[in-house]
Amino acid sequence: MAEAHALGALDAEESAAFAAHLAAGCPGCEKALAEARWLVSQLAYLAPETAPSPAIKERLMRNVGAESHVVPIASPRKSAIPFWLWAGVAALLMLTLYSTWNTHRLSAEVERMQQQATAEVQKREKLEQELAASRQEAQMRAILTNPESTKIMLMPSKKDMPSLEAKWHSQLGLVVTGYEVPKLSGNRVLQLWLIPKDSKAKPMPSITFWPERDGKLAKLVANPEEAMPEVKALAITEEPAGGSEQPTSTPLWVGAVS
Amino acid sequence: MFLAALTSGDYGTVPPDVALVHRLLQRDVRAFEELYDRHSRAVYGLVLRILQQAGSAEEVVQDVFLQLWRNAGRYDETRGPFVSWLFTLARNRALDTLRLKSERQRRREDQTEEFPPVAVAPEYEKDLDEKRCAARVRALMASLAPQQKRAIELAYFEGLSHTEIAAALREPLGTVKSWIRNGLLRLKEGMQATT
Repeated sequence: MAEAHALGALDAEESAAFAAHLAAGCPGCEKALAEARWLVSQLAYLAPETAPSPAIKERLMRNVGAESHVVPIASPRKSAIPFWLWAGVAALLMLTLYSTWNTHRLSAEVERMQQQATAEVQKREKLEQELAASRQEAQMRAILTNPESTKIMLMPSKKDMPSLEAKWHSQLGLVVTGYEVPKLSGNRVLQLWLIPKDSKAKPMPSITFWPERDGKLAKLVANPEEAMPEVKALAITEEPAGGSEQPTSTPLWVGAVS
Repeated sequence: MFLAALTSGDYGTVPPDVALVHRLLQRDVRAFEELYDRHSRAVYGLVLRILQQAGSAEEVVQDVFLQLWRNAGRYDETRGPFVSWLFTLARNRALDTLRLKSERQRRREDQTEEFPPVAVAPEYEKDLDEKRCAARVRALMASLAPQQKRAIELAYFEGLSHTEIAAALREPLGTVKSWIRNGLLRLKEGMQATT
């Protein structure tokens, strides 16, 4: 049976039965089949050896030579769209997404920096204002406390108005101070005038100002020193906002410079 | 020296065919060429004997040796001689071709085809044992009764079953089975006796 099976001569039913017998486990038949296979293979020698066409060897050697340096691997299923195109599309998509994200990020960053810059400018302006106010206050204090400063009393033209006081230092400047100064109406301001000793000369306009809400008044005239030696008196009038070239009203306060 | 020993094919007591198969696993083209030179005539003779058509036989031979090159690792030297494995591979391929392409029909249509010259292969280097084995098989088969020999050849070279052989020879099925069984037994005993 083993020889006939190795020869392939068994009919289908016999072959299936023998295969089932082997599958059930029969070492004797397995050994007999192995020997029968070798025996049957020897029948090949019955065919006369024949030289194949040299072209077969040439083709084989070409194929083998081509494969000798290539390890066959399972090639992936090819896509209708080449890989490089997929890679390009993916790269473009990634670039677009990154650009969009980066634009939003940069816009937010620019906006944040602009806000930060604005805050810094405002902070600086505030500091400059505070510094200027501090310097002005220090300069006013220096004028008011300096023994070389000249005191000038500005007397009111009306009895119900308080008198004001001015102090002038030839190098530091002029300070006008007062308390309970009446509020001004509308867009009117107070304006300081320097009255020249020359009776023919016109009053010299100086700063405009207005009292605080609580009636306090403290104003600095930083550089009146060049004109002050020629001034015989100070006067304060009420003028339209922005001041006037010449007084348009009767002085509310007047004080002689001694 | 070590490299030279590796590349020279010195595998000690390993049979020459097995040593060449080992080199095939290392993608050695020269080893493939040597195996082809050693066995292509026997393989082609076998396939041509089965297919009886040179073009188909050459295709099968090419396919067999390409399979050898690509799947040499499938040969298990512990389960038998290499040449038996190679002959079995070639026979199975040829019989598959014979069945799938209806070569019998083609043979009838191509009776005018000029067959390539069939001749005993000239001597070339191969194992003496193999040569002796071939001569012994031929001698033993020649000693069988013509009908007995014919029945075995129909099974081996044409892949016919007992029933098909009985029909082809117009002999009882039991007789055919007996011829084949006894013929193979005699062949086996004869080979053992001459070993």
